[in-house]
Amino acid sequence: MRIILTLLGKDFANLRRNRAAFVLSFIVPMIIIYIVGQVFGLGRSDSGPSGIPLAVVNQSGNAAATKLVAALQAEKSFRVITEFTNPDGTKRPLIEADLRPMIHDRQFSYALVIPADLIAENRFGLHLMVLSDPRNDIESQTVSGLLQKTIFSSAPQLLGQMLQLRAKSYVGAERLDRFNQVIADNAARTFGGDSTEILKKIQQGDFGAMGQGASNAVPGSAQPSGEGLLSKLVKIDSEQVVGKDVKSPTATRIVGGYAVMFLLFALSNASAAFFDERNTGVFQRVLSAPVSRAQLLWSRFIYGVLFGLGQLMALFFAGHLLYGVDVFGHLGNLVLVCCSVAAACTAFGMLLSAITRSPEAARSLATLLVITMSACGGAWFPISFMPHFMQQIAHFTIVYWAIEGFGAVLWAGNSLAQLLPILGVLFGISAAAMALAVWRFNRGNIFG
Amino acid sequence: MLNLENLTKRYGALTALDGVSLRIETGEFFGLLGPNGAGKSTLMSLIAGLRPADVGTLTLDGVALNSANAAGRLALGLVPQNIALYPELSADQNLRIFGQLYGLRGPLLKERVEEALVAVQLVERRKDQVKNFSGGMQRRLNLAAALLHRPKLLLCDEPTVGVDPQSRNAIFEYLERLNREGLTVIYSTHYMEEATRLCSRIGVIDHGKILATGTLEQLLTRLPFEEEIRFSADEATAPLAAALAALGELATHDGIHRFRPRADYKLSNFYTLTESLGLPARLFTSQRPTLEALFLHLTGRTIRE
Repeated sequence: MRIILTLLGKDFANLRRNRAAFVLSFIVPMIIIYIVGQVFGLGRSDSGPSGIPLAVVNQSGNAAATKLVAALQAEKSFRVITEFTNPDGTKRPLIEADLRPMIHDRQFSYALVIPADLIAENRFGLHLMVLSDPRNDIESQTVSGLLQKTIFSSAPQLLGQMLQLRAKSYVGAERLDRFNQVIADNAARTFGGDSTEILKKIQQGDFGAMGQGASNAVPGSAQPSGEGLLSKLVKIDSEQVVGKDVKSPTATRIVGGYAVMFLLFALSNASAAFFDERNTGVFQRVLSAPVSRAQLLWSRFIYGVLFGLGQLMALFFAGHLLYGVDVFGHLGNLVLVCCSVAAACTAFGMLLSAITRSPEAARSLATLLVITMSACGGAWFPISFMPHFMQQIAHFTIVYWAIEGFGAVLWAGNSLAQLLPILGVLFGISAAAMALAVWRFNRGNIFG
Repeated sequence: MLNLENLTKRYGALTALDGVSLRIETGEFFGLLGPNGAGKSTLMSLIAGLRPADVGTLTLDGVALNSANAAGRLALGLVPQNIALYPELSADQNLRIFGQLYGLRGPLLKERVEEALVAVQLVERRKDQVKNFSGGMQRRLNLAAALLHRPKLLLCDEPTVGVDPQSRNAIFEYLERLNREGLTVIYSTHYMEEATRLCSRIGVIDHGKILATGTLEQLLTRLPFEEEIRFSADEATAPLAAALAALGELATHDGIHRFRPRADYKLSNFYTLTESLGLPARLFTSQRPTLEALFLHLTGRTIRE
């Protein structure tokens, strides 16, 4: 027993001294649990997606349509955009013609058009239009469900108005008014209330509880019969603005996020190899030759970029062969984005080895950061599912910009000019990380 | 030819080198002898241009040696303490890479790699991965990689650590041959035997300071005795030890008495004394002064403490 206790003590002493093992065993899983928990709303009062930009163009002067817009604005999942900002900073209401270019520019991915003929005398049912860039499948389905829910909760009143209009066209305004008055008087006598107010509501199509079933519906739940009826009465036209020609949408959506995650892992491991070269004295030997530190670091950087480019392209070619991802249609731009992503990931790896003191520390910090960046950056879940502060963090991750870049090329088929901002961010990240890494390398002890 | 003046290097509060001044002539085999942490590797790294000195100057043939002086670096070859090779690559690939870093190209590179492989007896293993080599083979290749560009000055930083006696001997013979051919060698070690065998001149270093320099003979004359007598420290020899204290220097270490008689004390008197105490002559060994004794004398501690 004493021997077992001694050996146990040894194992715990080793664990206590091995910070890398400690981080990998305890800290990394905790962070992943926290992130996943946040995504699924655990411990959050505001669970579910939030702040998804949704443009709304209301061409109808109908009061119920205004109520629908207000209902969308009240929905915390959406950040409703109704105005267009001119170059001089002045604002004007959005018009339908603004929507497609703005979706192409990634200012938002979803837009709702409430047309002027939302309710027409010559047509039965409501007519709405949704424009979308369903680059992120999970987010797209969620938005679709939320839009339906909100529209259906406002639909009964709109349908009531439509019925009033149809009735007017069949029986004439005078007979309809008399009919409505009789209904209002009877309702006031039976249930109480002011018959004038009730008449006004009937004329506005507000039949009270008619739409209650739909308003409680949630996406994915069994549809109440009322909603089934509404889905027949509310016609929502959909237009996919971006990515409609993508050959393999599902694979195209996910390949970028996973590719960059694996690249980050590979380059982080490579960065730990820095320490092996220091510890074996290879750096000493190389630097005692007519080789400068800058040459040594840049050769490492270039190797990392070429390796990353090779790995990313290999993954995309595999995606092409296995799932039909269209790689060859965008080869030039894809290579450019891969270069920028590889540069950012390489610089990240070199920065890690510059700020840590041992290969174990570099590997554990890399695992922690790569997993955190992948989760926060949108490789696993849409960032709109995370709390607001994590959505802000996402914009500072390589993974987010890499996914944006790959999506811009493979999903949206963007031109080089359209890619420049993303390339700028990724090359900017690599320049900043490399500058920091070189500064630390020159001050640290990596060169022996 | 290599001139170091007042070299000082600090790492925070630790002074790794403290005003080191040395002059090493062309063709010398200079030994840098000191225990671990004495400052040998720091001095080597300063000469190799890996680190700048905080204070002091360092010139080779009158030209300052520093990281900006590429020509100066071409004159140096460094054999690091560890196996500074790429273990996944073959011996041939390693030599080609390091040769290219020193500017060797084409047929000249091929010729030098061939020569190096022959010299360190690795021709038949040239295509094998270095990680599959024995420790001795790796050490030999480690040395060869520093010689491809034919430096004027070779810096060997404890190049035989962990090497089997056979490989160690092969390395010694190779270095001695190179030195005979005119190569200047600075060889750091904490092995007295290596310094004794190889070095034409030795510098004793401890706590970042050069304590003494000279040929082996010159250094040993600094000891205040010509002979050292060793015997067990036990009950039987206790009366002898008590008597010897007045006749010279008596030190006890690891259960062994070391008696270093005064210069005017005759050894015949010592043996007369032991006979009178009934102690047989076989209990005593007599030794000429050694570097170990010198180090002990200079620092008050043994080199492996």
